[in-house]
Amino acid sequence: MKQHSGFDNILLIATLMLVGIGIVMVYSASAIIAEDRFNSEYFFLKRQALFAFISIVIMFIVTRIDHQFYKKIAYIILATSIISLILVLIPGIGLKIGGATRWFRIATISIQPSEFAKLGLIIYLAYSLSKKGKNIKTFSVGVLPHLIITGIILLLIMRQPDMGTALCLGAIMFTMLFASGVRLSHLSLILISASPVIYFLIINKAYRLERWMAFLNPWKYPADSGFQLIQSLYAFGSGGIFGRGLGDGKQKLFYLPEPHTDFIFSVIGEELGLIGVLFIISIFSIFIYRGIMIAIRSSDLFSVYLALGITSLIGLQAITHLGVTMGLLPTKGITLPYVSYGGSSLLTNMIGLGILLNISSQVKKR
Amino acid sequence: MKWLRFRIFIILVVFIMATIAISARAYQLHVLKNKELSQLTENQIKRVITVAPKRGIIYDCKREEMAISIDVASIYAQPSKVTNKREYARKLSRILKIKRKDLIKKLNSDKSFVWIKRRVTPAQSKKVESLNLDGINFLTEAKRFYPSSEIAGNVIGFVGMDSKGLEGLELKYNNDLKGEATYSVVQRDALGRIIFGKRLKQRKNVMGNELILTIDKTIQYIAEKELRKAVRKTRAKSGTVVVMRPDTGEILAVAIQPQYNPNVFWKYKPSFWRNRAVTDSFEPGSTFKVFLLAAVLDEGVVSQRDIFFCENGSYRVGKNTINDIHPHAWLTIKKIIKYSSNIGISKAGERLGKEKYYQYIRKFGFGEKTNVNLPGETKGLVRSPKNWNRIDIDTISFGQGISVSAIQLITGLCTIANKGFLMRPYVVKQIVTSDGKVIKEFKPHIVRRVISEKTARDVTSILKSTVKKGGTGTRAFIDSYEVAGKTGTAQKANPSTGGYFRDRHIASFMGFVPADDPEIAILVVIDEPEGTPYGGEVAAPVFKACAEKTLDYMGISPKSILVKRNPDRLKTLAVKKRFKKQKEFIAPVKSKKFMMPDLTGLSMRQALKTLHGSNIDIKITGSGRAIKQSVKPGRLISDGDKCWIQFQQPS
Repeated sequence: MKQHSGFDNILLIATLMLVGIGIVMVYSASAIIAEDRFNSEYFFLKRQALFAFISIVIMFIVTRIDHQFYKKIAYIILATSIISLILVLIPGIGLKIGGATRWFRIATISIQPSEFAKLGLIIYLAYSLSKKGKNIKTFSVGVLPHLIITGIILLLIMRQPDMGTALCLGAIMFTMLFASGVRLSHLSLILISASPVIYFLIINKAYRLERWMAFLNPWKYPADSGFQLIQSLYAFGSGGIFGRGLGDGKQKLFYLPEPHTDFIFSVIGEELGLIGVLFIISIFSIFIYRGIMIAIRSSDLFSVYLALGITSLIGLQAITHLGVTMGLLPTKGITLPYVSYGGSSLLTNMIGLGILLNISSQVKKR
Repeated sequence: MKWLRFRIFIILVVFIMATIAISARAYQLHVLKNKELSQLTENQIKRVITVAPKRGIIYDCKREEMAISIDVASIYAQPSKVTNKREYARKLSRILKIKRKDLIKKLNSDKSFVWIKRRVTPAQSKKVESLNLDGINFLTEAKRFYPSSEIAGNVIGFVGMDSKGLEGLELKYNNDLKGEATYSVVQRDALGRIIFGKRLKQRKNVMGNELILTIDKTIQYIAEKELRKAVRKTRAKSGTVVVMRPDTGEILAVAIQPQYNPNVFWKYKPSFWRNRAVTDSFEPGSTFKVFLLAAVLDEGVVSQRDIFFCENGSYRVGKNTINDIHPHAWLTIKKIIKYSSNIGISKAGERLGKEKYYQYIRKFGFGEKTNVNLPGETKGLVRSPKNWNRIDIDTISFGQGISVSAIQLITGLCTIANKGFLMRPYVVKQIVTSDGKVIKEFKPHIVRRVISEKTARDVTSILKSTVKKGGTGTRAFIDSYEVAGKTGTAQKANPSTGGYFRDRHIASFMGFVPADDPEIAILVVIDEPEGTPYGGEVAAPVFKACAEKTLDYMGISPKSILVKRNPDRLKTLAVKKRFKKQKEFIAPVKSKKFMMPDLTGLSMRQALKTLHGSNIDIKITGSGRAIKQSVKPGRLISDGDKCWIQFQQPS
């Protein structure tokens, strides 16, 4: 089984480039907000650099852990994820910021359990799906358990509320089910039954409906929800081909909401222009391609699903972030993996990379 | 495994398609919509605030500052950041003396930038700054300041709140004086805050260009002071004095009464602002005889030996009668000018003919702009000779039925002083950049030759008689310089009747001095003096005072040559009389060298007065009358030379 062919260095380098660009862009995007909020323009930069350092160290440790090991602790990981998602909802334990309870607070660091839960769910799904064999074609054995587990996690995340992450997880599940050979009829059923729920959720919350309307016609809601989207489009548009130059963006000056997290790609678009945007897209394309190749080349199903799940996690988030900032998808806060500010997400994604690299090291050389 | 790989491959394809879609969108936004979105972005984040530019300084000819720009603070508010508007309005209204209601209105504006008060005093700005109010900020603006207040105010003019020239040279040379690119673009963040600090970092304003005038502040001051005195004394409606250099056309002073202080121009009626010397025209009256005189002599239709019958003071021309103040019988042209006989000059004019006369009037520059560099110049009114009635040749000969501006009149006179050349008058000598580079230079400009040099000399010699005994302008006589001049007393036209007011006059005097080598020409016009209306009474003294003081200031001393016609005879005359006689012969020279006068028999005071202004080192011994001088009379001496004068009590 263990045929050491070395790590996928291209994947590693591509990701480290993203992390590097991320640190620079987080600084550029956040300096003014940091100065405004914390009286130090380096506030977010320092923290992101620290997160990056810790994440890279942990990532390299993870590459040394045989990914088959996660099979054994898949349920433990799943249970831990679910429990932490429940705990974060309990007032006093979870930290409420801006109407959402997504964080545990330990000292000065906030931990976002939903980020780790993403990985937990992927490991569980990969393990569970790889066990099913021919039963995957049946709804009750092949599909239902995964739906229930994912549903629980989604509901818990929706309670925070964090629709973006929830939808992202739903999409990952869907991708993994599709890859594992679940019948298309079953998949269609899931989609059909999910859509009224999503519709209800959108209608139910005024701000979600507004966002949706603003997405459809941002110029009609310039002062309200359309504002963010318009600001983001301004950022890309005024960047032109070569951009305004690093640090010279104007849209981050309180026009863009959360320029260092949910709208970091807008800042990249404004400051680095089309060139910078295409460069980032290329790196993510390389990531997705290499990730999927690792999945395809893996010899056992668990490795295939695990690699695919992690690749989807990164790819879906990236494409959603890009799509949202460019007005191709409705506005909802989702970060750009490896680039946006945020410790939990960076650590999760780096652990994901570590696992992916470990899988790649066991892939047969062709 | 094969199907698995296929399904994963499909996932890859979906990812690739999404990536392509995103790349296409990026191209659309960055390239296709770049212009449109950039523009919208700029509109959103930028705001142009016009900040008063630093206007160039205006200097007089001695580089004294006449108009400067000083930095003052202007207060603006960002209403969105003002939380407690009532409180703010209360505090600001107390300091800035603005109604609270108005302040609240400003603070409630939905604009992100409103001026609260522009150009506040340093004390006010300090007080407001110490309140440290959020959303109330300062911007440095330039304020125009005229250090010598009203002096030359009518020439220099003033600027409005937005630093745009509204009158005078400020208006005429607005484009040169105003600094370039005088707005500052500020960037705002989404909260409407102006980015980069509390005080706006503005680009250093480009300084406007500077003007260097021909106006001399001291001469201006003299002219204004003398004019003001006269206008007050005679309770006249208004008055004008223009001082000009005949040989160059440089205007040294333009005094206007009533005057105003450009620092607080809004406190005066707009009629006070204009420069009447160029904007207003009037019927000049007898001063205009000078030009007919020049014309008839230049054409040779009248010789100085010719005599005219002056009809004993009453001359019927058709239905009209021309009167002289003092009746005369037969007069030479010289006496006609000296006594200012309307009848005599009319007859001379009739001899010249209206066509020729009209030509000369136009050649002297009447009926056209002098193109002096002051705004709002009038052409005056010179009717075409085709429209002249029989009487018009007579009346225009003595300056009725024609209207001219003060600047035209003095320019015309300067033609005579300047040996027949008409010069273009000018008040701006140079336009220079703030670092001293000359951009434009105005040099003396000969418009044309009007009369021959000989005519000019003859006219000058006749004009000298005006101020001498028996002439109309004796009050313009100056001890130590010879004056050539002419008085004028014009009835004012009554626009409602088409006739003339009996009791409203314009009294004037124009002349140049020293007559044979003129340094300055001065015109004095007093509009509607009360009491005596005569130019010789009202205007001539103003001329004298201005001329004396100006010449003294200019350092043109009555360095005289004694022309001794008959030294033997002089010796026998009484000292007092001889002194007077000597004065007759004084012929000032401008050169540094001059001829030593004979001081014999003079008292110490008389001797010193004779030598006044020369820079000879005079040493005196004894007292009484002068009996000896170390430098012989008639010898040329230079500045700083020593001269001993010995005095002795007469026995």
